[in-house]
Amino acid sequence: MIMEIGNKEKILYILIDRKIKSSKFMDIFRQNSGDINKTIEHFLKYENLKLNLETGEKNNHDPEIDTHKKDKYGYLKVMDYIFKNKVELLCIGDDGYPDILEQIYSPPPLLFFRGNKIKEMEFGIAIVGSRKCTAYGREAAAYISRNLSEIGITVVSGLAVGIDSYAHKAALEGKGGTIGVLGCGIDIVYPPENKLLYEEIILKGSIITEFFPKTPPLKNNFPIRNRIISGLCRGVIVIEAGEKSGAVITCEMALKQDREVFAVPGNIFSPASRGCHKLIKNGAKLVERIDDILEEFSQVYQENLRLCSDYDQKDNMKAQGKQDIGIRGNEARIYEFIGFRAKSVEEIVRYSKMEVREVLGILASLEIKQLIREGSFNKYSRLF
Amino acid sequence: MFFKLDSFTLIGINAIRVSVEVHLSRGLPDFVIVGLPGKAVNESRQRVRSAVINSGFDFPVKKIIVNLSPADIKKDGSFYDLPIALAILAASGQIKCDISGESCFVGELSLDGKINPVKGLISMAEESQRLGKKYFLVPHEIANQASFISGVGIVACKNLSEAVEAFACRENIGKFICRDKIESVSNRGNSYDLDFSDVKGQLRAKRALEIAVSGRHNIMLIGPPGSGKTMLARRAVTIMPDLNLEECIEVTKVYSLYEKHVNRLIQKRPFRNPHHTISRAGLIGGGVNPRPGEISLAHKGLLFLDEFSQFPKNFIEDLRQPLENKEVIITRSHLSFSFPCNFMLIMATNPCYCGYFGDGSRKCVCSQREIQKFWKKMSGPVMDRIDMRVTVARLPESSFINTGTSENSDEIKSRIEKCLYIQNDRFKGKKISYNSEVGIKIINEWLKDDKKIRDLIYTISGKYNLTARGTVSILKVSRTIADLEQSNTIKENHVIEAINYRVGYGCNPGSNF
Repeated sequence: MIMEIGNKEKILYILIDRKIKSSKFMDIFRQNSGDINKTIEHFLKYENLKLNLETGEKNNHDPEIDTHKKDKYGYLKVMDYIFKNKVELLCIGDDGYPDILEQIYSPPPLLFFRGNKIKEMEFGIAIVGSRKCTAYGREAAAYISRNLSEIGITVVSGLAVGIDSYAHKAALEGKGGTIGVLGCGIDIVYPPENKLLYEEIILKGSIITEFFPKTPPLKNNFPIRNRIISGLCRGVIVIEAGEKSGAVITCEMALKQDREVFAVPGNIFSPASRGCHKLIKNGAKLVERIDDILEEFSQVYQENLRLCSDYDQKDNMKAQGKQDIGIRGNEARIYEFIGFRAKSVEEIVRYSKMEVREVLGILASLEIKQLIREGSFNKYSRLF
Repeated sequence: MFFKLDSFTLIGINAIRVSVEVHLSRGLPDFVIVGLPGKAVNESRQRVRSAVINSGFDFPVKKIIVNLSPADIKKDGSFYDLPIALAILAASGQIKCDISGESCFVGELSLDGKINPVKGLISMAEESQRLGKKYFLVPHEIANQASFISGVGIVACKNLSEAVEAFACRENIGKFICRDKIESVSNRGNSYDLDFSDVKGQLRAKRALEIAVSGRHNIMLIGPPGSGKTMLARRAVTIMPDLNLEECIEVTKVYSLYEKHVNRLIQKRPFRNPHHTISRAGLIGGGVNPRPGEISLAHKGLLFLDEFSQFPKNFIEDLRQPLENKEVIITRSHLSFSFPCNFMLIMATNPCYCGYFGDGSRKCVCSQREIQKFWKKMSGPVMDRIDMRVTVARLPESSFINTGTSENSDEIKSRIEKCLYIQNDRFKGKKISYNSEVGIKIINEWLKDDKKIRDLIYTISGKYNLTARGTVSILKVSRTIADLEQSNTIKENHVIEAINYRVGYGCNPGSNF
C-alpha cells in the first residue's frame, strides 16, 4: 500500500501507535503556537516514518514501534478500514476543518467523518435533550429542527435516541441538513435502533467522531463528544432535559466556548423540563419560535427573520381560529375546551355532556387531523 | 359367584364406563384387583374390607378377584370403593340387588362406611345418561352437583348401609333421589359482590371493557401502579351474560375435576386470576394424571393475567394454541386428554419496569432500551390475538370523591346481551360465534360495498403505521361497536372509535419513540 503521507496520517499514527493522548497533542500544538507541521515533527523527530508506511513494515530496531505488532488495531488497520469504508479524515489545520471548532479550547486533532456536510456547513445550531422525551418534546424538537433546516441552518446533535433522533430526522427534510456527532467509533452504530437514520444522515449530512474505529460507546466518551457538538455550533438549544442531564452539561460547555444557550420551556408540572427551566432561570434564552434564535444572530439572518415571522403568523392564525381548520359542531366545541393544558377524557366527557363513545370518537378524529395529541395516558392537549 | 356393576373412570373431562366385576371362589382367602389399577385403586381393598365389616356385614373369607374392565386403561382414584363393596356383598349373597343392570355407582368409602366425595361426578352423570342408565348412585355430599342432568336419577347415599338399602329394592330408591332446590338457572341478576359502578372515572377503559365483553375481544389494560387495572378486570365478569344451563354444566364439569367438594352446579362466570409464579402445568393443565389448568378453569369466563409482563415468556407462547382452538389437548404416552378452555383473556401490565411511563405526574426512570425490552417480551403472536389495548391512567384524588352516577353492571349487561344476540344471529350455522373470531374473508364481505370505510381504513393504517393484523383488529372491534348500537353496517364513527383501542398513546410504548 503506497500512499501519500499527509499530516492526517501522521497524526493518526502518533495518536494510535505512539499512544499520545489528544490532550497532550494539543498541548504541544499550542506550545508551537498552532503550527501543525512543527507539532508533528516534535513527535516524529527520530523516526523515518515514510519508509514504514510505504512498505508496511515496521522498524524492528525501534522497541516502541515493535510493541504495536501485538496491537489488534494499529495504525495500518485503521487506515485500511478508512480506505475500504469511505471514511474520511480531517485534521486540525486542514481546509475542511470547521473554523468554529478550531476556536474552542481543546479541539479534536483528528476527525473521522462520513458524508460531506461537515465541509460545507455554514452555520450550525445544536439541538440537545433527553433520551426519554415526552410527546411534547418530540414535537418541539421536530418543529424547531425542521424550521431551522428549512432556512439553511445545519442542525447538530448527538445521534442518541429521544430528542436527538427527532431533531436529526426533521432536519433531513430541509436544505440545512444535519450533522451527527458520535460518542464511539465511526464503525459502530449506537444506539442500534438508529441504523436507518445513520445511513440517511450519511447521504444527506455528516456523521463525525473523534474516536478511533472500534471504540465502544463508553460512558465517559459522551461529555467529550458533547464538547464537539457545542463547538461546531453558534448556539445550543435544549429541549426537555432533566435537572442533571447530559444536555445541561453540554450547555455548560457551550458557555465556556462562548456559545449562545437557548432553552425550550415545558409544562411547569412536567419533570421532563426541569433542566430547561433551570437554564432559563440562569439566563438561557427562552425559545418559542425560531425567531427567538435568529434574533441573536441578526447580522447573519436578518432576512430570514422576516421570512420566519410570516411563517409563524400562519400558526398564530390557526391558534386564534381565524383560519378555518375544518372542524364543526361538537368537534369544534371539544377542541375549544381542550386547550393547551392537558385535559383527561373524564373532564372532557363531563364538560361535553355527551356519551363516552361519542367523545372517544371525536378525540380520535381530532387526533387524526393532528389538532390534538395524547401527551400522557388518557390526557389530551391541543397542538395548535 | 360372580357379580358385575358399572362405574366410571375419567379421561380428561370425559367419563367412560368401567365395569367392576367380582368373582368369589374357593381357595386361600385373598383379595386381588386387576385391570391396571393405580395406587389409590389398590388401596381400596383395605377401605372396602373395613367399611363392609363396620357397616355390619361379613367380609367373605374367599378368594376375591376384582376386574376393572376395559382392562387396558389405567385407572386411578377412589371411585371404585363403593361399587367393589356392593359387588362383593351381592356376590356373597348378603344383599339383594334389584337395580344393578340399570345403575352406575361411584364413591369413596371411609373405614366406617361413610361415602366420601369423588372428582368428576357431573361428567359421569352425563355419561350414565348417555348410556341410558336409570340411576346413578353418588356420594350424598356432592349429589347436587349432578342433579341438573336430566334423565338420570341421582341417588344420594350417605353411607354403605344406605347404599345397600337403595340397591336392594326399587321401591326404596325414591327417598334417596336428589333434586336440587334451585328452580332455574336463568335471570339471577348480579350475584357478585362487585359492581361496575364502583369504578370512578376510567371512562375509556370501562367503555373498552364493555366492547371487549360484547365481542369477546381479548383486551390488555396498560397503566401505572394503582390506576385500577385489577379493579376493572375483576368487574368485567359482572357484565358478562348469565350462563345458561348447558354452560353451567360445562363449567361444573371442569371444576369437579379440579376439586372434589363442588356441591352444586356452578352458575357464576368463572374469574381466574393466577399469580405469575404459577407453573406451566398449573396454567395450561397437566401433571402425571392431567388436571385442568387455570385456562380451563376460566372456561366460559374470564382469565385475568395481572402483571402480564412477569409471566415467563414460554407460558405466554403456550397460550397461543388454546386461544385459537378453545380447547387444550394434553398428550401422554398412552392417551390424550382434552380440556375445554373457551375463555376471554384480560391482561394487565405496567407500561414499563418502573411503571410510570406515560403517567402525567410522575417521571418514568426507565431508559428507552428498557422500555423496548419490556415490550419486546410481549410482542409477537400473542399480542396479535389481543384486539384491544387500553390505557388506564391514575386519577387525581378529587375524582374519588366526585360521585357522578355511573351505570351499574346490570344495565351494561343488558346491552351486551342484545349485542351477543345479534352476533349469534349473524354467525348461525358457522363455526364461530363472536366478532373476535372472524377471519379476513368475512371482514372483506362486510366492507365490500363501502368504499368510504375502506378509504378511511387506508388513511388510518397509513397514519398510524398499522400492520395488517392491527387493521383487522380495528375492523373487528368496529363491528362490535356497530352491534352495540344495533347498526347493520359499520359506519365511520364506529371505526374512528375503534382506533382508540388500538393505537392510542401508550398502547404500544415499545414502538412509541
